[in-house]
Amino acid sequence: MDAPLLAIENLRTYFYSRAKRAFIRSVDGVSLGVTRGETLGIVGESGSGKSVTALSAAGLVTAGPGVISGRIHLNSNGASRNLLDGLEKYARVTEQDGRVVAVEKDERGWRRRSETLMAGVRGKEIAMIFQNPRSALNPYSTIGKQLVETIRLHTNLKRESEARERAIHWLDRVRIDSPRLRFDNFPFGMSGGMCQRAMIAMALSAEPSLLIADEPTTGLDATIQSRIVDLLAELKAETGITTLLISHDISVIQRLSDRIAVMYGGTVVETGRAAEVLAPEAKVRHPYTAALLASIPSAETIRRKSYLQAIEGEVLDTIEVPRGCRFYGRCNRVTEAIRENCAGLEPPLGEVAPGHKVRCWLYPSPGKA
Amino acid sequence: MRRYVQTPGPIGEFSELSLRQRAGPLDLVYVSYGLLVVVVVVASYLLGAFGWLPQDPQAMDVGLINAAPFTSGHPLGTDFLGRDLQARLILGIQAYFLPGLLAITISVVGGSILGVLAGYRGGWFDTIITYFDNLLDSFPRLVLILLVIAAFKADIYYVMVVVGITGMPVIANLIAGKIAFLRQKSFIEAAHALGLPAHTVILKHILWLNCRALLVIQATLGMAEAILVETSLSYLGFGVQEPTPSWGNMVQAGANYFLQGNFWPSTAPALAILATILGFQLLGDGLNNLLEGKRRR
Repeated sequence: MDAPLLAIENLRTYFYSRAKRAFIRSVDGVSLGVTRGETLGIVGESGSGKSVTALSAAGLVTAGPGVISGRIHLNSNGASRNLLDGLEKYARVTEQDGRVVAVEKDERGWRRRSETLMAGVRGKEIAMIFQNPRSALNPYSTIGKQLVETIRLHTNLKRESEARERAIHWLDRVRIDSPRLRFDNFPFGMSGGMCQRAMIAMALSAEPSLLIADEPTTGLDATIQSRIVDLLAELKAETGITTLLISHDISVIQRLSDRIAVMYGGTVVETGRAAEVLAPEAKVRHPYTAALLASIPSAETIRRKSYLQAIEGEVLDTIEVPRGCRFYGRCNRVTEAIRENCAGLEPPLGEVAPGHKVRCWLYPSPGKA
Repeated sequence: MRRYVQTPGPIGEFSELSLRQRAGPLDLVYVSYGLLVVVVVVASYLLGAFGWLPQDPQAMDVGLINAAPFTSGHPLGTDFLGRDLQARLILGIQAYFLPGLLAITISVVGGSILGVLAGYRGGWFDTIITYFDNLLDSFPRLVLILLVIAAFKADIYYVMVVVGITGMPVIANLIAGKIAFLRQKSFIEAAHALGLPAHTVILKHILWLNCRALLVIQATLGMAEAILVETSLSYLGFGVQEPTPSWGNMVQAGANYFLQGNFWPSTAPALAILATILGFQLLGDGLNNLLEGKRRR
């Protein structure tokens, strides 16, 4: 198997919360790989660190102190580069009893270095689409002009007329009706779904290697959501673009992903092929994944009007990281046999089946147990 | 056939009302009057600059001192030396037109730079600009100008540099506020994600596309401010010196004869000041309502 297109290794991104006067470990040691041509879905509750993982990969974390350490390898166009190369020396973290007490970071030096590394990558190799597409477009410019701008920036179509033709081509490809008329529309004259289509066109028009879709359906009407998901699936089939899809909506993840990573408390707790992780009858499953799946209202629960199953407790705030498993406090499957481990030792991400890893003491990885 | 035009609407939300629909009838009156004033001012400036005046502004007609309007040969009358008021009013625009442009250029350019730094970079830039703003607010502008005159010389361009600099914080605050507002919408972040270079985002997407209306409005108001400062200074004798006419020193010169019943030589330039400043202010206000949609419907 060739090297994954994007390999994130041991990424750590922290933020400082003034309200809580503490550091939040938004992403705390995440490792992920996205293979060429596949869609990797990252799922988790709000605050699990999935969006921050994506923003870190695109070099778009603005709040401080931000990305601390890790490696992000991008293998495209026959070249491999680490987007965080040499950045570790700019930040130093002091930890005490599971709390980050101080972070020293030369933010200016870090940013300058990062901008050098990201030059020609952001927008060109890694493109991104966001939630709330209406606000992601400049309200005072037509979508056509904005599309032309990215095309002229990233492709070798520098002439206005050529770029214009290409822009109309892309508007057509994202299934916008009468693209020639829509070209001159302002974002506020279009529906949210239409704006998201325009955003997708802008992201794809640079012909990037990787598309990061950060909650692409959030903030859209339910019917529009499924249309956007359909569009992403169709574009995926047509172009075969590698996608990193982030959503808290398991149904979206399920429809689009080849592989899934489940995140909790800033770490990946389970990863594997989508069919395997989400299979209804799967025997091996992280308790958090199980709880997430159980919380989806099924046709059955709706018919019987029974209560929806929420996950007990609150999301880990990752200020004080427990010594044991991060899900220990909310887990309902702790057995006496493993309680000591769960409370005191962080479980490793163990391989339970080929390509399927679970971070849980219930499933000791073969060979280690 | 009805034609619908899309224009950005009120701050925050974007309506599909056409310009005509959004404008109150008063706004159109304001803007038309303001534009008329601008045209008259620019035309007068050009007439003065090329010397195409109806009369020689320095020629004294000793037989006709303090003449009333509509005297033959002097449609607006004459001053205390018998000089033609119309020609002097037109020439008086020279005193503030270019200096005023200098002042608004300084405040718009400087204010934009500070505003972008405060809004885009934030952090200590924001703090510095707040302190700068407070510092200027705590100081009467006229005193500052008189200080500069005392320290250097009574040159209108020096004065206008001060006016320009003191006008910067207002614009900086407005732009920083606008950027803070735009930040809530994610398009600046999205533009970065699309790989647009920072200068394109700042100059094109923030300043040009989103702040241009605001800057035009502020420039208009700044012009009114500059005229007011120039006339006050000339009136006090610190601005343009006789025999070069400026509206301020014309009011001052005429004022000596005001109580003797010759009210016209000082009233004419005073009315010109009033009409012009009113024009610029109303233009700014009207544009504000039309372009920024501040008026609630």
